[in-house]
This record gives sequence, C-alpha cells and structure tokens, in this order.
Amino acid sequence: MGDRQVAVVSAGFCEHASKRSDVNMAELVNEAVHNCLNNANCDIDAVDAIVAGNMPAFEGANLPELWMTDWLGARNKPLMRVTTGGSTGGSVAIAGYYNVAAGLPGIETVLTVAFEQQSCGNTSVGLSSVALGEISIVNALGLPAESAMRIFGAGAAIGIASYQAINYMNRSGCTEEDLARVVVQNRRNAAKNWWTHLKMPDYTIEQVMATPYISYPLRFGMVTPASDGACAMLYTTEEKAKDFADIPAYVNGVASVSHETAILGVGGAGAGQLDPCEQVGAVESAKLAYAQAGISFPEKEIDFAEVYSPFPNQELMWLERLGLFEENTAHLRYRDGTTAPNGELPVNCSGGVNSTNAIGASALERVAEAALQIMGKAGNQVPKTVHSAIGHGWGGCINLVTLTVLSDQPRRKWRAH
Amino acid sequence: MVRLEYIKKEYEKTRQMPGKWYLTSCRYKFNITRFQPFLSALKEKRLIGLKCRSCNTVSFPPKLVCGKCLTRPDQWVSLRETGIVATFTANYMKDETTGEANAFPVIAVRQDGADTTYLTQLNPKVKFEDVYVGMPVKIKWKDNTEGNLNDIDYYDCIDDPTQKMDSLTK
Ligand SMILES: [Zn+2]
Repeated sequence: MGDRQVAVVSAGFCEHASKRSDVNMAELVNEAVHNCLNNANCDIDAVDAIVAGNMPAFEGANLPELWMTDWLGARNKPLMRVTTGGSTGGSVAIAGYYNVAAGLPGIETVLTVAFEQQSCGNTSVGLSSVALGEISIVNALGLPAESAMRIFGAGAAIGIASYQAINYMNRSGCTEEDLARVVVQNRRNAAKNWWTHLKMPDYTIEQVMATPYISYPLRFGMVTPASDGACAMLYTTEEKAKDFADIPAYVNGVASVSHETAILGVGGAGAGQLDPCEQVGAVESAKLAYAQAGISFPEKEIDFAEVYSPFPNQELMWLERLGLFEENTAHLRYRDGTTAPNGELPVNCSGGVNSTNAIGASALERVAEAALQIMGKAGNQVPKTVHSAIGHGWGGCINLVTLTVLSDQPRRKWRAH
Repeated sequence: MVRLEYIKKEYEKTRQMPGKWYLTSCRYKFNITRFQPFLSALKEKRLIGLKCRSCNTVSFPPKLVCGKCLTRPDQWVSLRETGIVATFTANYMKDETTGEANAFPVIAVRQDGADTTYLTQLNPKVKFEDVYVGMPVKIKWKDNTEGNLNDIDYYDCIDDPTQKMDSLTK
C-alpha cells in the first residue's frame, strides 16, 4: 500500500439502456465524465491524470482511449488504459487508487472512467473469442469442431454461471425460488436508481418462475441484460478530499487476485478447482483487502456491499466467499430481508449487474455505488448510515476478482503498510 | 418468448456506419509433442494423467503446467475408467421434427484418481433431469480408436453405490 491516503470524492453515470442510439461511444463516455465533475463541483482543470477502461472486443472498436481522448478530458494529461475482461471496472478503480497513492509529483486528482457500448458490436462474438483458444486446441487434439462447440459453448452466454448455480444449489439447498427472489430484489432496487437499465418496480417471483430456462437452473427472467453505459469516478488525496465533497469515501483496501477454475483448461494451466463455486480468488482477495483496511470481522464491520453478479446465484456465492455471510446461508438472508435496502446488510441497492450490465463499466459502478452510499448521495440511498462498504468485481478469463474496501474514516495510521 | 415489461426510454436514432473486425481469425499455439503420451494411451484405450511431483495433483486431461506450483509435471499415472460428475449444465438443441428445444447434459467429469475435471458429453439417452452432482460415470470408448480426444465416445451412467446404501438403511 502506498503512503498516501486516497479518497473517492465523486462518481458519475450516464443513462444506461440496451441501445443508446442517440450518442456514439465518445459522447456516451462524456456524459458520465460531466456528471462526475458536476457532482464534485469542479471542472476538468482539477483533474491531473486519467485512467480509462473497457473491453474493445465487445464493441468492435479498437484503442478507444486514443480516439476519444478529448471526450475523456485527457488532452495533455497522463492517460492509462486497463482491460481485464468483466473485472475491467474493478481494475480501473484499483489503477485509479494507485495513481493517487503512488505520490507522483503533480498527480493528486485522478479521474477513472469505464464504459461499454455493446450495441455497437457483438458481445457474444467477443465472449466466444475467450473460449475459442480452448476450442481450437481440443479441435486440434481430435475432437470434432461441432461437438467441441457443443461442449464448450454449453450454457451459451451464461457459460460458467450455470455450473456455479448447479453446484451452489447442490451444496446449500437453495431453491429456484431463492434465485428468483434475488433477481426481484435487484430489479426493484434498479427502479429506484436513475441510471439503471432494467427498471422493474412490480416484478414478482411468480413472473420470474413463469419464464423458460435459458440454461438450467437459470431462467430468461434471471439473466443480466446487455447495456450501453459509462461510469466515472474521481480519486484524490486525503488533504484535497474536503474541497470536493463533504463526506469523502476513503479507500482503505484494494486487492486483485486471480485463481483459475478447472472448467476451461486443457491448454492453459489451472490450479485444479473441482467446484466452480469454491472461488478461492474471492476468499484470497477478501483476506488481502480486509487486512489493509484493518477489518477483522467483515460480517459485522461492513455495512453495505455491491457485488458483481450478472446471475443471481453468483450474488449468493460472492457474499459468502467475501466473508459477509456464513457458508451456504446467503439465500436464507434474502428470505429474512437482511439484504433489503432497509435491512442489516443491504446488498446491491443500485440494482446490481443483474439489472444493468455495461460489461467494462459494471465493476467500476460497484465501487462507485459503494462510495456514494458512504457519501450519502446514492440514487437508492439506504436509510442507515454506511460507515464501510465494499465494491467487488469478477472477470478476466473467469478467474480474476477485484475488491475495493471503502470507509468514511481514513485508514488507521498505526497500521504497518 | 415471454415478454417482460420494464420502464423503457426511447432514444433518438442517429446514423450508423457498418464495420468489421475479425475476432475469430486468431491462431493459437499448443505443444502437442508433450501431449503425445496421453494421445497414444487413448489409442490403447487407457487413460493417463499428469502428476505434479511437487503437490501430487493429478491432472486429467493433462495440464502441461501446474498452476499451483508453476512447475512442469512429467510423471504419467494410470487412471481408472470410472469417475464422478463434478458439475454439469444443459445444452439446448432443437428437435428437427417437432421443433421443441430439448436439454442435453454437458458434464464435467472428475476421473477417479485425478484432481481436475474434464468437460465432456454424457450418453445421449440419459435424460438431463436424472443427472446430479456426484453421479458415478464410466467411459465408453469408440470401437476404433485413433489416438485422439474423439476416442472417448461419451460417458455412461453406472449404479450409484451410495443410493444402494440409502435403500438398505431404510
Ligand atoms: Zn503442483
């Protein structure tokens, strides 16, 4: 950890929709940048450096940070791009943190931007290029292309999530209604947040259960949308933080841990994980980030969680792996309302990735919403005071977990860095 | 398809330009020489896995680098033909005659004696509803083996001894 205490002072979004046909990619990003700067009552002159991130393969636009420099506000400023798959936003957040924490001369305020305009390209082609390396290898080893596609393409875009769902339900006894309950809570939360995509204020469990299976046990009504959208956040030092916001959210721990699952992996190396919902990466990242933040009892000390869950079973899985609930009990906490906005540990009050998924931006939106809850400026603000919150991301080649721990107090100085 | 209503906002349509980016034209390299003992064993209807000398993890199908120790395993070990279903999912295929979408299971098998899983197909006659995590399966070879992955025709279900024990206790 760097010596400088870093704070999040503002976050901004653009409106998310399946097709933002009124703007191009650069204009979409610019909306979020403007919203972020307006929320901090400053202009682009206050920003010293910029970190941007997206998944170029998903929208078919190469090197976007170069041709949208002016729309990012990066003219004549240091600019860095980060791309790590689904966790791109989480990595952008961590890169933004380190840009400030590093203490480089003249760099105190950093703008982080993550975006995706999926309607420009074909996301399923972008996603399938991830599995293509594996498919071409088993094809070279003699498996006919047709059956290789059938086996490795099983579950289609849902892919690994349906394996995770089957194993999670097997080990915890969670039912399909429990999964539907998670979705309903997310979509209803999304309806209270201005920038989200699938706003469904009257969604019910029965409606979810009436939709057909996309891939067992996940139904059409449970699946994440493909969104166009962008998110921006402003990071600065502890000394400057109060110039931008009354209550800054201090970044007290960041971690990014990779742990490979064994599902894909004839060609690649793998640590040989048998159970796809074991998620050692999440456990390890939680250990690292909580230790930096001085959190010993995450289940008691963390007041709010934003986790990266395109599919409802993942939300349950991550909450357990990140130490917020005991193993195999997360679905019970949804039944008793612990995770509702007025509950003991509100989860994904923004609506989560299940309601809005602009892939590159999704993980940054988790950190942004966690910060906004601490600052008291979230679209769907929880009634209780949030002292510490986490923003989680998952992606890479289904192996990477990013975690940011935020608090309304700076990190205790006596802790060894 | 069922329509789900959500609060929608219409955005103005602007001009769009077509473009192409060939994402699927990539080339991948793979060390087939070090993989050869595995393929030769398949020709003789034998299964072998790679054992890491450092952590004793046996990978099947063989992984040329151990992810835990970052070593290159070189010890081949024989494996039995049986295994269990570690996880599974469905593949939906349209029936040509009726037009109905049927679920076919795709399973990840943990071969007995190995510590990793192999993504493969189950006997097409087995119904998706009957598959469960921990189900014992046995390999079904092709009649004429050629020394490639296609020699494994599919995996077949076998009697589950744990279920037999359950019925005895009742
Ligand atoms: Zn090893």
